[in-house]
Amino acid sequence: MAKVTREMVERSGVNVDELVERLVKNAAAELTTYYYYTILRFNLIGLEGEGIKEIAETARIEDRNHFEAIVPRIYELGGKLPDDMKEFHDLSACPPASLPGDPTDVMAMLKVLVEAERCAVRGYTHICNLTAGKDHRTYDLAQAILNEEIEHESWFSEFMGEGPSGHFLRRGETSPFVSKFLK
Amino acid sequence: MMRTFTKKELAHYNGKNGLPAYIAYNGEVYDVSESFLWREGKHQVIHHAGEDLTDSLDQAPHGAELLERFPVVGMLQED
Repeated sequence: MAKVTREMVERSGVNVDELVERLVKNAAAELTTYYYYTILRFNLIGLEGEGIKEIAETARIEDRNHFEAIVPRIYELGGKLPDDMKEFHDLSACPPASLPGDPTDVMAMLKVLVEAERCAVRGYTHICNLTAGKDHRTYDLAQAILNEEIEHESWFSEFMGEGPSGHFLRRGETSPFVSKFLK
Repeated sequence: MMRTFTKKELAHYNGKNGLPAYIAYNGEVYDVSESFLWREGKHQVIHHAGEDLTDSLDQAPHGAELLERFPVVGMLQED
Protein backbone atom coordinates (compact mmCIF):
# COMPACT_ATOMS: atom_id res chain seq x y z
CA MET A 1 0.00 0.00 0.00
CA ALA A 2 1.09 3.54 -0.74
CA LYS A 3 0.35 5.02 2.68
CA VAL A 4 0.58 8.71 1.90
CA THR A 5 -1.24 8.20 -1.39
CA ARG A 6 -4.18 6.70 0.45
CA GLU A 7 -4.05 9.40 3.09
CA MET A 8 -4.18 12.14 0.46
CA VAL A 9 -7.24 10.58 -1.15
CA GLU A 10 -8.95 10.14 2.21
CA ARG A 11 -8.26 13.77 3.12
CA SER A 12 -9.88 14.91 -0.12
CA GLY A 13 -13.16 13.45 1.13
CA VAL A 14 -13.27 10.27 -0.94
CA ASN A 15 -14.42 7.11 0.88
CA VAL A 16 -11.37 5.04 -0.04
CA ASP A 17 -12.80 1.69 1.02
CA GLU A 18 -15.82 2.22 -1.21
CA LEU A 19 -13.61 3.42 -4.05
CA VAL A 20 -11.38 0.36 -3.75
CA GLU A 21 -14.44 -1.89 -3.78
CA ARG A 22 -15.61 -0.20 -6.97
CA LEU A 23 -12.17 -0.63 -8.55
CA VAL A 24 -12.13 -4.33 -7.65
CA LYS A 25 -15.60 -4.79 -9.13
CA ASN A 26 -14.56 -3.02 -12.31
CA ALA A 27 -11.34 -5.02 -12.50
CA ALA A 28 -13.52 -8.14 -12.27
CA ALA A 29 -15.75 -6.79 -15.03
CA GLU A 30 -12.73 -6.23 -17.27
CA LEU A 31 -11.20 -9.65 -16.77
CA THR A 32 -14.48 -11.52 -17.10
CA THR A 33 -15.40 -9.50 -20.17
CA TYR A 34 -12.02 -10.40 -21.68
CA TYR A 35 -12.92 -14.05 -21.10
CA TYR A 36 -16.47 -13.80 -22.46
CA TYR A 37 -15.37 -11.69 -25.44
CA THR A 38 -12.89 -14.42 -26.31
CA ILE A 39 -15.83 -16.80 -26.75
CA LEU A 40 -17.89 -14.22 -28.62
CA ARG A 41 -14.98 -13.42 -30.92
CA PHE A 42 -14.47 -17.07 -31.85
CA ASN A 43 -18.16 -17.34 -32.71
CA LEU A 44 -18.26 -14.21 -34.86
CA ILE A 45 -18.05 -16.11 -38.12
CA GLY A 46 -19.73 -16.13 -41.50
CA LEU A 47 -20.56 -13.21 -43.77
CA GLU A 48 -22.01 -11.06 -40.99
CA GLY A 49 -19.89 -12.20 -38.08
CA GLU A 50 -16.50 -11.70 -39.74
CA GLY A 51 -17.19 -7.98 -40.18
CA ILE A 52 -17.51 -7.52 -36.43
CA LYS A 53 -14.65 -9.78 -35.43
CA GLU A 54 -11.96 -7.09 -35.68
CA ILE A 55 -13.61 -4.62 -33.31
CA ALA A 56 -14.60 -7.42 -30.93
CA GLU A 57 -10.96 -8.49 -30.89
CA THR A 58 -9.74 -4.95 -30.22
CA ALA A 59 -12.28 -4.50 -27.41
CA ARG A 60 -11.26 -7.87 -25.98
CA ILE A 61 -7.56 -6.98 -25.82
CA GLU A 62 -8.26 -3.49 -24.48
CA ASP A 63 -10.48 -4.86 -21.72
CA ARG A 64 -7.61 -7.08 -20.63
CA ASN A 65 -5.38 -4.00 -20.69
CA HIS A 66 -7.90 -2.20 -18.48
CA PHE A 67 -7.71 -5.01 -15.95
CA GLU A 68 -3.93 -4.75 -15.87
CA ALA A 69 -4.08 -0.97 -15.54
CA ILE A 70 -6.58 -0.98 -12.67
CA VAL A 71 -4.96 -3.62 -10.46
CA PRO A 72 -1.92 -1.56 -9.37
CA ARG A 73 -4.21 1.24 -8.24
CA ILE A 74 -6.21 -1.19 -6.09
CA TYR A 75 -3.06 -2.23 -4.24
CA GLU A 76 -1.73 1.33 -3.99
CA LEU A 77 -4.91 2.28 -2.16
CA GLY A 78 -4.62 -0.64 0.23
CA GLY A 79 -6.99 -3.04 -1.51
CA LYS A 80 -6.43 -6.50 -2.93
CA LEU A 81 -7.95 -8.95 -5.37
CA PRO A 82 -9.96 -11.84 -3.89
CA ASP A 83 -8.01 -15.09 -3.51
CA ASP A 84 -10.86 -17.03 -5.11
CA MET A 85 -11.45 -16.40 -8.80
CA LYS A 86 -15.05 -17.63 -8.56
CA GLU A 87 -15.69 -14.94 -5.98
CA PHE A 88 -13.97 -12.41 -8.25
CA HIS A 89 -16.23 -13.36 -11.16
CA ASP A 90 -19.38 -12.99 -9.09
CA LEU A 91 -18.61 -9.55 -7.76
CA SER A 92 -18.16 -8.09 -11.23
CA ALA A 93 -19.59 -4.60 -11.78
CA CYS A 94 -21.20 -5.83 -15.01
CA PRO A 95 -23.21 -8.94 -15.87
CA PRO A 96 -21.50 -11.75 -17.80
CA ALA A 97 -21.29 -11.05 -21.56
CA SER A 98 -22.43 -14.59 -22.29
CA LEU A 99 -22.70 -16.13 -25.73
CA PRO A 100 -26.33 -15.84 -26.92
CA GLY A 101 -28.40 -19.02 -27.20
CA ASP A 102 -28.15 -18.76 -30.97
CA PRO A 103 -24.52 -17.81 -31.69
CA THR A 104 -25.32 -17.33 -35.39
CA ASP A 105 -27.63 -14.43 -34.47
CA VAL A 106 -25.21 -11.56 -35.04
CA MET A 107 -27.64 -8.92 -33.79
CA ALA A 108 -27.97 -10.84 -30.50
CA MET A 109 -24.16 -10.95 -30.30
CA LEU A 110 -23.97 -7.19 -30.89
CA LYS A 111 -26.56 -6.61 -28.19
CA VAL A 112 -24.42 -8.51 -25.68
CA LEU A 113 -21.34 -6.55 -26.74
CA VAL A 114 -22.95 -3.12 -26.64
CA GLU A 115 -24.65 -3.80 -23.28
CA ALA A 116 -21.29 -4.77 -21.79
CA GLU A 117 -19.71 -1.57 -23.07
CA ARG A 118 -22.60 0.55 -21.81
CA CYS A 119 -22.26 -0.96 -18.37
CA ALA A 120 -18.55 -0.07 -18.43
CA VAL A 121 -19.24 3.48 -19.63
CA ARG A 122 -21.67 3.99 -16.75
CA GLY A 123 -19.22 2.53 -14.22
CA TYR A 124 -16.20 4.61 -15.23
CA THR A 125 -18.26 7.76 -15.59
CA HIS A 126 -19.32 7.24 -12.00
CA ILE A 127 -15.73 6.70 -10.83
CA CYS A 128 -14.66 9.86 -12.67
CA ASN A 129 -17.47 11.78 -10.99
CA LEU A 130 -16.44 10.49 -7.56
CA THR A 131 -12.75 11.26 -7.98
CA ALA A 132 -12.68 14.44 -10.09
CA GLY A 133 -10.57 17.08 -8.39
CA LYS A 134 -9.90 14.74 -5.45
CA ASP A 135 -8.07 11.55 -6.41
CA HIS A 136 -6.10 12.68 -9.43
CA ARG A 137 -4.45 9.36 -10.26
CA THR A 138 -7.63 7.27 -10.10
CA TYR A 139 -9.44 9.95 -12.08
CA ASP A 140 -6.75 9.92 -14.77
CA LEU A 141 -6.92 6.13 -14.97
CA ALA A 142 -10.72 5.95 -15.03
CA GLN A 143 -10.90 8.70 -17.62
CA ALA A 144 -8.39 6.90 -19.86
CA ILE A 145 -10.39 3.68 -19.63
CA LEU A 146 -13.64 5.57 -20.17
CA ASN A 147 -12.26 7.00 -23.41
CA GLU A 148 -11.70 3.50 -24.74
CA GLU A 149 -15.01 2.11 -23.47
CA ILE A 150 -16.86 4.95 -25.21
CA GLU A 151 -15.17 4.05 -28.47
CA HIS A 152 -16.06 0.37 -28.03
CA GLU A 153 -19.68 1.28 -27.40
CA SER A 154 -19.79 3.48 -30.48
CA TRP A 155 -18.27 0.78 -32.72
CA PHE A 156 -20.85 -1.83 -31.72
CA SER A 157 -23.67 0.70 -31.72
CA GLU A 158 -22.81 1.59 -35.33
CA PHE A 159 -23.14 -2.05 -36.40
CA MET A 160 -26.52 -2.20 -34.66
CA GLY A 161 -27.74 0.56 -36.95
CA GLU A 162 -27.90 3.26 -34.27
CA GLY A 163 -25.92 5.73 -36.38
CA PRO A 164 -22.30 6.43 -37.33
CA SER A 165 -19.75 5.95 -34.58
CA GLY A 166 -17.66 8.91 -35.69
CA HIS A 167 -14.58 6.85 -34.90
CA PHE A 168 -11.90 5.16 -36.93
CA LEU A 169 -10.50 1.72 -36.26
CA ARG A 170 -7.30 1.55 -34.24
CA ARG A 171 -4.25 2.24 -36.37
CA GLY A 172 -1.97 -0.51 -35.21
CA GLU A 173 -1.53 -0.45 -31.45
CA THR A 174 -4.36 -1.01 -29.00
CA SER A 175 -5.23 1.11 -25.94
CA PRO A 176 -4.23 4.59 -27.16
CA PHE A 177 -5.48 6.13 -23.90
CA VAL A 178 -4.61 3.43 -21.34
CA SER A 179 -1.18 2.42 -22.67
CA LYS A 180 0.57 5.01 -20.49
CA PHE A 181 -0.51 2.99 -17.45
CA LEU A 182 0.92 -0.21 -18.85
CA LYS A 183 4.51 0.90 -19.38
CA MET B 1 -54.62 -6.12 -7.20
CA MET B 2 -51.12 -4.80 -6.46
CA ARG B 3 -49.73 -5.34 -3.00
CA THR B 4 -48.96 -2.25 -0.95
CA PHE B 5 -45.71 -2.24 1.04
CA THR B 6 -44.89 -0.14 4.06
CA LYS B 7 -41.23 0.86 4.33
CA LYS B 8 -40.84 -1.69 7.11
CA GLU B 9 -42.29 -4.46 4.95
CA LEU B 10 -40.07 -3.43 2.06
CA ALA B 11 -37.01 -3.60 4.31
CA HIS B 12 -37.68 -7.30 4.86
CA TYR B 13 -36.94 -8.06 1.19
CA ASN B 14 -33.27 -7.25 1.38
CA GLY B 15 -32.01 -10.03 -0.90
CA LYS B 16 -30.02 -11.72 1.85
CA ASN B 17 -30.25 -15.33 3.01
CA GLY B 18 -32.35 -16.35 0.03
CA LEU B 19 -34.96 -13.61 0.44
CA PRO B 20 -36.11 -11.75 -2.68
CA ALA B 21 -34.51 -8.39 -3.40
CA TYR B 22 -37.08 -5.61 -3.75
CA ILE B 23 -36.39 -1.94 -4.27
CA ALA B 24 -38.72 1.02 -4.52
CA TYR B 25 -38.60 3.83 -7.03
CA ASN B 26 -41.18 6.58 -7.42
CA GLY B 27 -43.79 4.69 -5.43
CA GLU B 28 -43.43 1.38 -7.27
CA VAL B 29 -41.75 -1.71 -5.85
CA TYR B 30 -39.54 -3.71 -8.23
CA ASP B 31 -38.28 -7.27 -7.84
CA VAL B 32 -34.58 -7.19 -8.82
CA SER B 33 -33.78 -10.66 -7.43
CA GLU B 34 -32.87 -12.02 -10.87
CA SER B 35 -30.33 -9.31 -11.59
CA PHE B 36 -26.66 -10.22 -11.55
CA LEU B 37 -26.03 -6.69 -10.32
CA TRP B 38 -28.17 -7.18 -7.21
CA ARG B 39 -26.54 -10.34 -5.85
CA GLU B 40 -27.03 -10.67 -2.10
CA GLY B 41 -29.17 -7.56 -2.22
CA LYS B 42 -26.25 -5.22 -2.86
CA HIS B 43 -25.73 -3.05 -5.92
CA GLN B 44 -22.60 -1.15 -6.97
CA VAL B 45 -21.09 -1.02 -3.48
CA ILE B 46 -23.46 1.40 -1.75
CA HIS B 47 -27.05 0.51 -2.62
CA HIS B 48 -29.11 -2.07 -0.72
CA ALA B 49 -32.30 -3.92 -1.49
CA GLY B 50 -35.23 -3.31 0.82
CA GLU B 51 -34.90 0.44 0.42
CA ASP B 52 -36.58 3.28 -1.44
CA LEU B 53 -33.94 4.35 -3.98
CA THR B 54 -35.88 7.22 -5.54
CA ASP B 55 -33.37 9.85 -4.41
CA SER B 56 -30.33 7.64 -5.06
CA LEU B 57 -31.27 7.09 -8.68
CA ASP B 58 -30.87 10.78 -9.39
CA GLN B 59 -27.14 10.39 -8.72
CA ALA B 60 -26.75 7.07 -10.50
CA PRO B 61 -24.97 6.79 -13.86
CA HIS B 62 -28.16 5.37 -15.37
CA GLY B 63 -31.78 6.38 -15.52
CA ALA B 64 -34.99 4.72 -14.41
CA GLU B 65 -35.30 3.01 -17.78
CA LEU B 66 -33.13 0.15 -16.50
CA LEU B 67 -35.81 -0.65 -13.95
CA GLU B 68 -38.23 -1.44 -16.76
CA ARG B 69 -36.45 -4.79 -17.09
CA PHE B 70 -37.78 -5.90 -13.73
CA PRO B 71 -41.29 -6.84 -12.61
CA VAL B 72 -43.30 -4.45 -10.48
CA VAL B 73 -44.56 -6.37 -7.45
CA GLY B 74 -46.38 -3.63 -5.61
CA MET B 75 -46.64 -0.04 -4.54
CA LEU B 76 -44.84 1.70 -1.69
CA GLN B 77 -47.13 3.26 0.89
CA GLU B 78 -46.42 6.93 1.41
CA ASP B 79 -45.42 8.04 4.90
